[in-house]
Amino acid sequence: MNAKAIIKDRRFQYIIFGLILALVPVIQKAGMMKTSTVLILGSVLIYSIGTIGLDVLLGDSGLISLGTAGFMGLAAYVSAYCTTVKGLPFEVGAILAVGITVVIGALVGLISLRIQGIYLAIATLIIAEILLKTFKELVWFTNSYSGQKVAYPKLLGIFQLDRNSMYLFVVVVLIFLMIITENMKNSRSGRALNAIRRSEVAAQAMGVNLLKTRMIAFMYATTFAAIAGVLYGGLVNFVYPSTWILSLSLYFMAAVVIGGNRSIPGNILGSFVVFGLPDLVLKKLPVVSEMSGFTMIFTGVLIILIVLKYPNGLIHLPVQVISCLKKGSSRKGGEGIHE
Amino acid sequence: MSVFVQLLTRSLETGSIYALMALGIIIIFRTSYLVHFAQGTMGMFCTYMVTVFLKTMSFIPSVFCGVLSAVVLGMLVDVLIIRRANGVSHTGKQIITFGLVMIFLGIAPTIFGVDPITMPQFINSGDLNILGATISYNGLFNIAFVLVVMLVLFYILQKTKFGLAIRATSANEATARIFGIKTKNVTMFSWALGGVLGCLVGVMIAPSSAVTTFVLDSVFNAACIACIFGGFQTFVGPVIGAYLLGVLKNLTVYYVSSVWGEQIVYVLILLFIVVRPNGLIGKKLVKKV
Repeated sequence: MNAKAIIKDRRFQYIIFGLILALVPVIQKAGMMKTSTVLILGSVLIYSIGTIGLDVLLGDSGLISLGTAGFMGLAAYVSAYCTTVKGLPFEVGAILAVGITVVIGALVGLISLRIQGIYLAIATLIIAEILLKTFKELVWFTNSYSGQKVAYPKLLGIFQLDRNSMYLFVVVVLIFLMIITENMKNSRSGRALNAIRRSEVAAQAMGVNLLKTRMIAFMYATTFAAIAGVLYGGLVNFVYPSTWILSLSLYFMAAVVIGGNRSIPGNILGSFVVFGLPDLVLKKLPVVSEMSGFTMIFTGVLIILIVLKYPNGLIHLPVQVISCLKKGSSRKGGEGIHE
Repeated sequence: MSVFVQLLTRSLETGSIYALMALGIIIIFRTSYLVHFAQGTMGMFCTYMVTVFLKTMSFIPSVFCGVLSAVVLGMLVDVLIIRRANGVSHTGKQIITFGLVMIFLGIAPTIFGVDPITMPQFINSGDLNILGATISYNGLFNIAFVLVVMLVLFYILQKTKFGLAIRATSANEATARIFGIKTKNVTMFSWALGGVLGCLVGVMIAPSSAVTTFVLDSVFNAACIACIFGGFQTFVGPVIGAYLLGVLKNLTVYYVSSVWGEQIVYVLILLFIVVRPNGLIGKKLVKKV
């Protein structure tokens, strides 16, 4: 493999992206950035993990899940319970959190995916509501409205993380998961998902098992949501029931759609627009900051506009603008969420 | 005995509220092939509109104005958004309804404020005694009103020419269009109807708590479950599912667990569709290539 091929390799680009992200704590130390910005950026990166997972489900197989927030919350609470209340090491808590969440997700998927795509949306909506109720009612497990405290994790029992190193840990996990997802999309399962999206019947005729492949996609989304939940507890240090409401799941969906589905850079861009832009930019504008529901209106309008007018998502915008300038005529993009 | 009768009358009231919501969901599902996830939030928005009208008018005219605003809102959503989404995939359209959820959830507190607003009942006082159980006149009115609305709707669906157009559209939209049915009017009607039913449910449920942005969330969830329970393939199924769900829910809440009753029923219904994937009276849809 020559140097040019390495530079063009997506995985290499992701690692470069990770290195750039890793510079943030250095900039903060130099006093050019507020500490709160590091926290916001870190949570945006955590939400990116959930978005990348959801994209495998939403973009690659066209199924809608409203359980992202619920599953993320469940994982955050399990890991918080294991480390804070039971005093188990971070790694054990994380494995238990992801395991329990994935088992619950698998049951929901097995029940609803056998029928129609829309059943998954409704089943996950209901499960997310049940989980939210659990977070509010099960005081021994979640500490209810008082919230559950989480300490910064201690990796392998040696490395005690603080805010900046936890941020770096999130970056490492994110880049690792991005590379895994890139490989997954080019694997047998990824190609099977691609085939199902084009035509269910044709895919079945080629020997693709519909239920199994969709289950893989849903499990993938659930696992990523769970990992995001564990990291969220570690970075924010506090898990609170009302974080895991339906709106958060909708924001995840918005991030997939707005950034550009079936594109990992698109997912990252989408997360920055949906989760980062309101906190970093919009809330500092004069009129907007006084409107309580502005973030929701902004995201909702953006979703509808993108689906109607620009189904490829914002990630394709620079490419199209450049090709417009070069050719002097607009080029029709790929298929996006159109079918 | 009296407790049981009391539970049944309560269930009838909750069941009819669920049924009205489920009917709105199923009519839009059958004509536009979408689950209108924004129905609850649109209903919430129109309920807020009713409270605005209540400041200057008495109860019935303000509900009427609220329903009118629901009609306008439903039509606007269809004409401005859903109709333009012709080339968009099924999932894309479904995502649009979530965009609507976010818009209404964002607009409502911005316009109407974040404080809960109280909503008066249609009939303020008085209870009826049946077999030792009491039911308020307002509850009785709700039950009767929902029955009338549903009878009118089913009459329209089964006996009128427009109802035939709706059923034809729900069977096959392209074929219906070839036969000269104005499917655009049918979908516009169903979106407006969805808004109206949402608004009515909001007005019925709001007096028991208050008008907030999440006033219809639980009703909407219950209606979705009722649609799954009754089956998405018929108009009657979800309505029956909704009444049964009302009964089941109130019985479990009283006899099993007051905190987890609702959730237990939901999980049981999700398990039920493992046995009968197409719901209580659903037919299996055969997909052709």
